[in-house]
Amino acid sequence: MSSDQQPLLRVRDLVVEFNTEAGVARAIDGVSFDIYPNETVGLVGESGCGKTVTGLSILGLIPSPPGKIVQGSIEFMGRDLVSLPEEELRNIRGSEISMIFQEPMTALNPVFTIENQMTDVLTRHQGLTRRQAGKAAIEMLDKVGIPIPEQRIKEYPHQLSGGMRQRVMIAMALSCGPKLLVADEPTTALDVTTQAQVLEQISLLQDEFHMAVILVTHDLGVVAETCDRGIVMYCGNIIESADINSLFNHPRHPYTEGLLNSIPRLREKKVDQLPIIPGRVPDLFHLPEGCRYGDRCNRVTDQCRQTAPLLQSVTEHTAVSCFHPVTQTSG
Amino acid sequence: METLQYIIRKLITGIPLLLGVTFISFMLMVYFGPDKTYELLGKNATQEQIDEIRHQLGYDQPFFIRYADYLKELVTLDFGHSDSTGEPVSGLLGRTMPISLALIIPGFVLGNLIAIILALTAAYHRGSWVDRLIMGFSVVGMSISFLIVIIAFQILLSSSYGLNLFPVRGWNMSTFGNYLSYVTVPTLATVFVSLGYNTRFYRAVIVEEMTRDHVRTARAFGVPPARLFYKNILKNCMIPIITRVIFSIPLVVISGSLLIESYFGIPGVGKVTFDAITTGDQPVLKAVVGMTAVLFVMAQLVTDILYRAVDPRVTLK
Repeated sequence: MSSDQQPLLRVRDLVVEFNTEAGVARAIDGVSFDIYPNETVGLVGESGCGKTVTGLSILGLIPSPPGKIVQGSIEFMGRDLVSLPEEELRNIRGSEISMIFQEPMTALNPVFTIENQMTDVLTRHQGLTRRQAGKAAIEMLDKVGIPIPEQRIKEYPHQLSGGMRQRVMIAMALSCGPKLLVADEPTTALDVTTQAQVLEQISLLQDEFHMAVILVTHDLGVVAETCDRGIVMYCGNIIESADINSLFNHPRHPYTEGLLNSIPRLREKKVDQLPIIPGRVPDLFHLPEGCRYGDRCNRVTDQCRQTAPLLQSVTEHTAVSCFHPVTQTSG
Repeated sequence: METLQYIIRKLITGIPLLLGVTFISFMLMVYFGPDKTYELLGKNATQEQIDEIRHQLGYDQPFFIRYADYLKELVTLDFGHSDSTGEPVSGLLGRTMPISLALIIPGFVLGNLIAIILALTAAYHRGSWVDRLIMGFSVVGMSISFLIVIIAFQILLSSSYGLNLFPVRGWNMSTFGNYLSYVTVPTLATVFVSLGYNTRFYRAVIVEEMTRDHVRTARAFGVPPARLFYKNILKNCMIPIITRVIFSIPLVVISGSLLIESYFGIPGVGKVTFDAITTGDQPVLKAVVGMTAVLFVMAQLVTDILYRAVDPRVTLK
């Protein structure tokens, strides 16, 4: 987190477009952020805001066609992943940068055993023999808290529960000791108790493996519990970036504030209706001029409708793209 | 053990299907089929002769007895003698079946193998000119009538107008060289015709599999594209592929070779069936229809067992 460290990942002006029948949709429009070693960063936003696409572009996994990185750079330990040849990128995938996905039900290949899928990764990246890889895989499964891993490893994904499958995914992702883990909604498909266990497992292993984690999620609760920093996205832009305490206690962007206000809270007085953000997310083909949040914002002015605010640093670790940031917490 | 139990159970459940198919075909072809009395006796037969021959043919028996007789014939594989040639039906089929198989298998296997390879290539280069070229040829192959293809290949390869390399008609399996010279042109024609349909089908299956989450996972773990196709994707595609291949076998064996055999003058099952239909040769027809039904039940059994082999989620229950 500290700024004296070199960032592990440096994303600059990333633009990703999708060619659709309705025209070109710019899913990510000039996104820049840094990830430092060992930190956990939450990438938050509503569905369609570009958070998953951001995660996928780091590993060059955007379905292409129709998607394409048209501009920007993703620098990982001195190499630009955008311009890196596919073969070299393949060597990074699953070894230096790993990714885990939302649906543990479908993310694993149903017709191969856990052992087959895990040793495949280990033999490819670590140069292990099948036998060594099998042993390493069992150790990894044990680490992620799978009971009787010697037996489980012989099974097929459909024989495991959702939580177990996600643990297998984590074991697979961490088996080569990555420096960066991109977790795309890793707990969304799981029930709440399993969610907590899986998240805890990730942060435990994060300390052991000294890796950075990008947690892509729409769940602010998850971010509050596990992340050091939060990056809020809206319509393909980053609108606020701050450390976790100031993001939750002192949100600067009206959208962040709106999101936080709309979280139901148990301990507080019961309200008749949760505050909601009025209006809808504009679709990518009909973006408003100026600030993309303008039509839904209660602080909107003529300035916002004419020019789009840029992401500007407020303090060393916080940045917001708003002409009229919230200065005091109103909730 | 589990598999054996499953096979037995499946064979038992195949019985109603067999009964249904044989019942319908018996009704349509035999019970309401042509009456052969006058065909055998001529115009000036006496009533005694007529009664005599009808008794021999079993026409005086009630419906269900006649159907039961047919079932007995199926079980014992004894269908009597062909009306047209007098040859025992089992001997006739025993003689012609190997010919049909030898004729059809190379084209069938090549037609599917080449189609899978082309489909993988097209799916791999999807959207590019390679894909468009392959799919363009598929549509052309599908659009040309089988008859035109046969005639075109005969003219190009087997006539003095073309290369004149192979015999136009006939069959000879006495040596491997002979076999090759007679089987090549029919095989080329079969492959040409089946390739279009097969490639389109297999490409659709593969492209759909490519969009699955587990393929994205594999890519996220650095699986190289070639390996992705032949390991991760192909095995997942095996269920629709197996279904298509196995279920086309009974059709190919019995009726698929009909056109080929009549155009190349090859004395196989297709030719025998065709002749039996046109002359109303009931013993032969009963045998062919019954065997087709049995083949379908077997095909179903084999596909189910193969499903289990390629997909662990399938249970044999």
